Amino acid sequence: MLTGTASVSGADGAASIRLPDRITAYTAAPVWQSALDTLARNPHRPIIVDASRLEYVDNVGTALLFDLIRRDRPAHSQVEVRNLAVNVAALVREFEPGDFVAPPPGRRPPGILEHLGQATAQQIAYAKQMVGFLRACAGAFRQALTRRSTVNWGDVLDIATEAGANAVPIVLLTGFLMGVIIAFEIGLVARNFGAVIFVVNGVGIAMLRELGVLMTAIVFAGRTGAAFAAQIGTQKVNEEVNAIATFGLDPVHFLVLPRLLAAMLVLPLLTVLADLIGLFGGALVLVTFDVGFLQFYHQLLGAVTAGDFVLGIVKAAVFGLMIAAVGCHRGLTTGAGATSVGLSTTSAVVTSIVLIVVIDGLFAVFTS
Amino acid sequence: MIMQTQAHSGIAAAARSAAPAISVRNLRMGYGARVLLDGVSFDVWRGEIVVILGGSGSGKSSLMKSIIGLYEPMAGDIVIDGRSLVKASADEKAQLQRRLGVMYQSGALFGSLNVLENVRFPLDQFTDLTLEHKNLTARMLLHQVEMASAESLMPGELSGGMLKRAGIARAMALGCDILLLDEPSAGLDPITAANLDRTILAIRRNLGFTFIVVTHELQSIFAIADRAIMLDPVSRSIIAEGKPADLRDHSHDARVRQFFNRQPDALKRRAN
Repeated sequence: MLTGTASVSGADGAASIRLPDRITAYTAAPVWQSALDTLARNPHRPIIVDASRLEYVDNVGTALLFDLIRRDRPAHSQVEVRNLAVNVAALVREFEPGDFVAPPPGRRPPGILEHLGQATAQQIAYAKQMVGFLRACAGAFRQALTRRSTVNWGDVLDIATEAGANAVPIVLLTGFLMGVIIAFEIGLVARNFGAVIFVVNGVGIAMLRELGVLMTAIVFAGRTGAAFAAQIGTQKVNEEVNAIATFGLDPVHFLVLPRLLAAMLVLPLLTVLADLIGLFGGALVLVTFDVGFLQFYHQLLGAVTAGDFVLGIVKAAVFGLMIAAVGCHRGLTTGAGATSVGLSTTSAVVTSIVLIVVIDGLFAVFTS
Repeated sequence: MIMQTQAHSGIAAAARSAAPAISVRNLRMGYGARVLLDGVSFDVWRGEIVVILGGSGSGKSSLMKSIIGLYEPMAGDIVIDGRSLVKASADEKAQLQRRLGVMYQSGALFGSLNVLENVRFPLDQFTDLTLEHKNLTARMLLHQVEMASAESLMPGELSGGMLKRAGIARAMALGCDILLLDEPSAGLDPITAANLDRTILAIRRNLGFTFIVVTHELQSIFAIADRAIMLDPVSRSIIAEGKPADLRDHSHDARVRQFFNRQPDALKRRAN
């Protein structure tokens, strides 16, 4: 590979740099570095850049030439480019050294306290925004209850199919494995105390009150909450949300309400499935601990109440509402560009999972 | 700054050569069983600005994507600098594709990078230049497309024209000398479109680049094109080729005259 060569020569003691025949993006790095080294080594000598061999430069080569001649050096040690092709010279003359002066240093980086303040302000702004959004959702709900014909039930059904029916396999799998795991882990310990039959109580209460609904809600947040944020976020980026508003339609009523209704209806149904399959998984494991299906059934009836089941279903409806609201809100607050859609989606899932745990904790406190 | 010049040909001389920069030979392409273009052949010479035009659905953008190598042709060949893109191995194809700079309709800037980082991206990937040198090159490219003041903006903060200009700067970053532009003036105001045309002409004049421009903006076609190639959705091939003004004034094909004179279809004219 040809590279620039440097030497000190001439009666005036000028240093010279001889450029190769081609300087391109792929070959410029060593030439550029070598030329700058020559300039640095000879701060008080004139520099002659010999471009007689230079036949081809691309944009990087042009940048190299410009970088050499823009250097601010004393009058007696200027850089002189010789034998440069006319059109290359014209190209370099398009630029002025002043065009690329380093921008003034930006604001100093914020300290910890400033960071903390900014984060707090952001959270407060988000909370205010969320309250406003929830108020709009409540208004849309009220309108839907009083004037049911204003709700697009076709959309609600489509969303319910996508969020509910298509999620059945994954919910069955996670629910079944949850029942199997609980029964197996508790069973191993309970066997030491001869209390295997009480594993049924553990599996029943855990599945109906907590794990069935929690696992389903987490899967729902990852699957449907993320999809809501991505769908509405993309619509926002494509200005579809603006188009809806321009038609005089309320985006909350048009886009959010069907999703809220679908999620609120579908998550309890998925939870019932998860509960049933989880109990079945537990019963299957307990067969290996010598607890038959009939024995499991009778023990279960004595261990759980309708209240446990209803609590799980109520929690599921609340989680469904919350997951849909968070997903839609994140979608509607998406900024510009594809990256924003990704951020909104991630944020929707993370926020939903945190809120699931918090709301579950509140339920535990108020229903115990 | 001192510069002594000599009158040798520089970039332009290096660029001129007997072989066409791009040669499309008897190309047939489409989607599934649907043939969109058939028997399309033309050459693009170095330093030339060739405009591909035609009505909506005539296959302009698909032709461009075939030239880039994004779509596999059903038959025919695309030759870049004497090397077949269709018969090339994956590595050779990647090398050939790096010779082409492409600006997509939307600019296709990476949303997570600011404008300077977007333009610097190809240099980051394929060169050993220092950050300072890459930044200087990227800033000079942005200066050429009059985007110097927007270097720290994110793509989401740019207007349509700015996105396209930044897209052109990025397409030029890696020293490619063939630029393909998909609808550069579409959706731009007349001043921005004229500025973009001027930028294209300046790049060709200063750097000797070859351009293939897909457009149906008549003003842009007359402003920049050395030669126009017109596609027709019915015959699925080239129906006219030549200087835009010649096509407008002297073409024997009614479809060509209709296009250049912005005449509505005869049926619709009668209906109105």
